[in-house]
Amino acid sequence: MTAIIMKELRTYFTQMTGYIFLALTVLLTGIFFVAMNVIFRSPHFHQVLNSTTILFFVMVPALTMRLFADEVKNKTDQLLYTSPLAVWQIVLGKYLAAGLLFLMAMVVTMIFPLIISNFGELPVSQIVGAYVGYILIGLMLIAIGVFISVMTENQIIAAVSTFGIIFVMFILDALAGGMPADATSSLIFIGILILIVAGIFYHSTKNIFAAGIFAIVSAGIAIALFFANNLMFDGIIGRSFRWLSIFSRFDTLTMGILNLADIVFYISFALVFIYLTVNVIEKRRWR
Amino acid sequence: MIKVKNLTKRYGQHLALDNISFTVEEGEVLGFLGPNGAGKSTTMNIMTGYIASTEGEVHIGGIDIVAEPEKAKAQIGYLPETPPLYGDMRVDEYLNFVASIKKVKSSERKQMVAYVKEAVHIEDMSKRLIKNLSKGYRQRVGMAQAMLGNPKVIIMDEPTVGLDPKQIIEMREVFRKLGKKHTLILSSHIMQEVSAVCDRVMIINKGHIMASDTPERLAAGLAQGHKMLVRVKGDKDKILSALADYSIIKEVKAIASRELGTIDFELSGDENIDIREAIFSCMSANSMPLLMMKSLDLSLEEIFLQITGQEQVAEPQTEELQATQTTGEEQVS
Repeated sequence: MTAIIMKELRTYFTQMTGYIFLALTVLLTGIFFVAMNVIFRSPHFHQVLNSTTILFFVMVPALTMRLFADEVKNKTDQLLYTSPLAVWQIVLGKYLAAGLLFLMAMVVTMIFPLIISNFGELPVSQIVGAYVGYILIGLMLIAIGVFISVMTENQIIAAVSTFGIIFVMFILDALAGGMPADATSSLIFIGILILIVAGIFYHSTKNIFAAGIFAIVSAGIAIALFFANNLMFDGIIGRSFRWLSIFSRFDTLTMGILNLADIVFYISFALVFIYLTVNVIEKRRWR
Repeated sequence: MIKVKNLTKRYGQHLALDNISFTVEEGEVLGFLGPNGAGKSTTMNIMTGYIASTEGEVHIGGIDIVAEPEKAKAQIGYLPETPPLYGDMRVDEYLNFVASIKKVKSSERKQMVAYVKEAVHIEDMSKRLIKNLSKGYRQRVGMAQAMLGNPKVIIMDEPTVGLDPKQIIEMREVFRKLGKKHTLILSSHIMQEVSAVCDRVMIINKGHIMASDTPERLAAGLAQGHKMLVRVKGDKDKILSALADYSIIKEVKAIASRELGTIDFELSGDENIDIREAIFSCMSANSMPLLMMKSLDLSLEEIFLQITGQEQVAEPQTEELQATQTTGEEQVS
């Protein structure tokens, strides 16, 4: 696995992606730092981190788009998958390489709060919370990017889809307010969710009976609950959107509140996507 | 060493491999021979654990490639059809990377990389970027990669495609050396290629094993009688009467006169009986200069075409044969 990490890091820095990534992250964070902290003489660097979350739109696709697409294009995937490495080692190696590069950029941006601390008092807990949140969001989005990279052989498609998904996550909070809140639409929403989960289930196991039984049973439970306790269904769409919204959780963290539930949420989200990536590769080779 | 049992592979509706089984002994050099799209690469990809079979099992040194993939893969070195190279790495970097993913101990790595580079003669290329190497050298780097980790089995898919004749001959030497230390499986769609280095040839076509034997026996088993084409200077009737004295020559066909004052004959004897000496002594006894003598027995190439049944190539040949039969009225027994 270390071999894979080293190789990927090497590639980042031979293909310039690594330098451009580091330089752009520091440059853009620097611009926000000047605009928000220096000009207004504010020590609240966590606000800068809050604003620079838009960097994820570009940075994550740039980090992850070539991870698997390139291997398939150059046929080097044959080398990796016929080597005595397990698939999870390959996936985790690539993920950690991207994560490490991201962490490097984060470490460099720590110059800015250090500068502030020279001239005044830092709101330490908020900045630590913001950094924890920022890093966790980054690592989670990178996991999503890795997952998308393995789904396509085309780097551009990988980059655009990653961008799209991050964008949807970004506006999820805003969307939540506009969703219908009545119980019937909630039931329809749950029905769609069940179909999607059953579809994924079928896709990964190729067992139509199990997927069908799962769909029927969970739909039955949902309908039974709907008639038994109608109130429970009120506003389910908005609530689940808000639950999924990674950026609203970030706001709590920037207040300096390290909520265990939020941290678990980010880490488990990342793990799920790494698991899915491994699974997709294994399944593809079984076809 | 390798056991392949009832291997079947379907790509959607297309049946790429149809229930093939074979075994490879330790130290054997086996050649897969077949036209493009016969299923050679599919078989190799399944044996190396790159893709899964629809049905069937592969055991490498007694280990199931599906049940314990890491253990089984550790025993295989694989050179796929396209060498899996990273263009932006230098040869040394690349080989060190492959050695590390193949779990070669770091203390042995340097020595092993030097050894494989020497084996395929790429020592001078160590510091070159792979993307700047020529096709032949890339192929060799691919081979070096397959040899890393000293695997028991080395599998190479069309390793000589795109090499120039001099390189092909060099590569044959490399294969022979490899065959002494490893179980080696090569594939090719060129007959001489495999017959030159392999102990055994397996002809694959349309997902079936059509034949599996030593190159010599494949040739012997399919040779149709013993036929020679000769060109003799002299008068046709005299030659015919002279040949009539030799009972070992069963059939004589005059074909045509392609050179002034000479006649070409097709002579055949019984199967497995060498008639060359008889032809020579017949001609020298009658002082008729023998200008050419050529075997008409099937070459390995023709056997290959016959087995894989490429009608579009085989048909004109049979037509030509029939044509010579109808023109050769002067049949003497």
